[in-house]
Amino acid sequence: MVGITEMTNWAVDMIDVRKTYSRTIHALRGVNIQVGRGEIFGLLGPNGAGKTTLVKIMMTVIKPDHSYGTILGRPLGHRGKLAVTGYLPEDHRFPPYLTGAQLLDYYAALAKVPRATRRDNAKRLLDKVHMTKWADMRIDKYSKGMLQRLGIAQALMNDPELVVLDEPTDGLDPVGRRQVRELLLELKGRGTTVFLNSHLLSELELVCDRVAILVDGLVARQGTMSQLTEHTVEYRIQFDGDASAIRAKLLACRATLDGHIVSVPGHDLSRVNEVIDLLRSANLHIELVKPHRFSLEDLLIEVMDQQEPVIARAVTKEGGA
Amino acid sequence: MQTWSIIIDSFRESRDRKMFWVMLGMSLLVSLAMACVGFEPGRVSFFFGMSEIETSVFTLGQQIRPQAIGTVVVDFIFDLMMGHVGIIVAIIATAGMFTSMLRHGSIEVLLAKPMSRPKLFFARYLGTLTFIGFHGTVFVGLTFLVMGMRWGVWLPGYLLSIPLIVLLYSYLQCISVLVAVVTRSSLTAIMLTLVAWIAFGGIQIVDDLFTDNPSWQRYQTVYALTHTARWVVPNTADISLTARKWAGTDSVVEMMPTTTDEDQSDLNMAKRVEAARSKIPIIYTVGSSLTFEMFVLLLAMWRFSKQDF
Repeated sequence: MVGITEMTNWAVDMIDVRKTYSRTIHALRGVNIQVGRGEIFGLLGPNGAGKTTLVKIMMTVIKPDHSYGTILGRPLGHRGKLAVTGYLPEDHRFPPYLTGAQLLDYYAALAKVPRATRRDNAKRLLDKVHMTKWADMRIDKYSKGMLQRLGIAQALMNDPELVVLDEPTDGLDPVGRRQVRELLLELKGRGTTVFLNSHLLSELELVCDRVAILVDGLVARQGTMSQLTEHTVEYRIQFDGDASAIRAKLLACRATLDGHIVSVPGHDLSRVNEVIDLLRSANLHIELVKPHRFSLEDLLIEVMDQQEPVIARAVTKEGGA
Repeated sequence: MQTWSIIIDSFRESRDRKMFWVMLGMSLLVSLAMACVGFEPGRVSFFFGMSEIETSVFTLGQQIRPQAIGTVVVDFIFDLMMGHVGIIVAIIATAGMFTSMLRHGSIEVLLAKPMSRPKLFFARYLGTLTFIGFHGTVFVGLTFLVMGMRWGVWLPGYLLSIPLIVLLYSYLQCISVLVAVVTRSSLTAIMLTLVAWIAFGGIQIVDDLFTDNPSWQRYQTVYALTHTARWVVPNTADISLTARKWAGTDSVVEMMPTTTDEDQSDLNMAKRVEAARSKIPIIYTVGSSLTFEMFVLLLAMWRFSKQDF
């Protein structure tokens, strides 16, 4: 019973999602992802990790081989809930013969939004994405950035409870990216759940409450930003002078030397002090001691490095089976 | 609301194609050309009376024969313009409408809407029929008005040619859609649809020849196969016959001039074939054609519903 209660609290609760293409390409190998209501969730991973496949399964574009779970409290694949879900696919192609305003009206009508609401929402959202001026221009005259802005507006036309955005800042300039960031935070403020799939890790880092790292069809890590980066703290000690004479002693303390910087991994302050003592005993002057937390990019690379042997084992096992 | 939106969008897409305006221009041109012609007892004038020829084909006593004029419009002009040119233009113009929907980047947005795949499929299919529906209405409407206002020939039954031409096109469009869903190639869809159209017509002609020549029926297997196929594939050739029947015009074979015995023999055969075709109730020809169409559409829809995009 506890499980069921917990399940309904998630906006997205996907369990053991599997998808194989052409019987040989294992795009997803049992993905478990939970997204809380009203949070901004980021999905990241290298190319070919299965991110877009997962997003398409959420949006019923692709049928999974196997899956459990719910989206907005209804089983995965339930079409009714798509009326309150917004979606911006990656590399979208909109009908070029429509104007921006016509496009918003068309897709909103397909999402069962009443005519009066469509008119109001189109006006509001075109203004929000700074496209009002070009609302009556044909889409084939739009730049990539303008198309992206329109795509985001399109995803919000039905006042969704859940918005799934695949590479939302693709093609946007820095100003546009900032505007999208502000929009996402505004959505979060209104209680909308946002599911982001992006390559721009710095963007995710700025807005996401929680992230999942997908590597080769498996969730390698999942949690809040602080949970994920907690174990990746290190202290960096900058000094003046030549420390080559004490390199072996530094290594014994699990510290690494790189030029005039010694890095001490972890939170252990006694070890940091031990390294400082070593440096001082070698008559080196300490210039700076600074804790350093890994970025998402560092984390992703670390996870990918760690996952490689695991994936290799999984592939061998599947191949053998 | 969803189905209507998709149909409207499909019409917008067809309107965006050059073929749409070419077809519209052709309809206007033909209507204008028709308006240049005048019928008077014993003669036909062209270019608003600038030249004329004497003929009694359209005359009965001291009055013109509306049915004979109707035959020219329905059997020649309508059959050529809408029954052939219009259908070919529509096949070419709309073949890309399904493939454009299925393209990566387009289909994802549509499938992510609260609408079942069969509903999306059928709404789009109906949308592709708007091209021929619009042009059929424009052409038949204009020629109907020219006939009535210029020649005083009012044939209300001719207006029923509009649903008939849409019906004929729908028989072929289902093939185009199936090919598009399977191959996602507009060119392949166009080619195979045209081949199917020729094959359907060919089967009907061969079956007519078998029926009219009892000596041929010794090839029993071929005859049985052709005769069965005729009732399986759409009866595309019967549409113009039905259009004429509903318009209440004369039979074209009655108007054919004959000068040699060979001509007379051909004419007799054409009369027999037409008489044989006329005896088949429309419910059978349309019914069997629609059954074929539904089968092909269900196959295409099943394929569409099962696909990952």
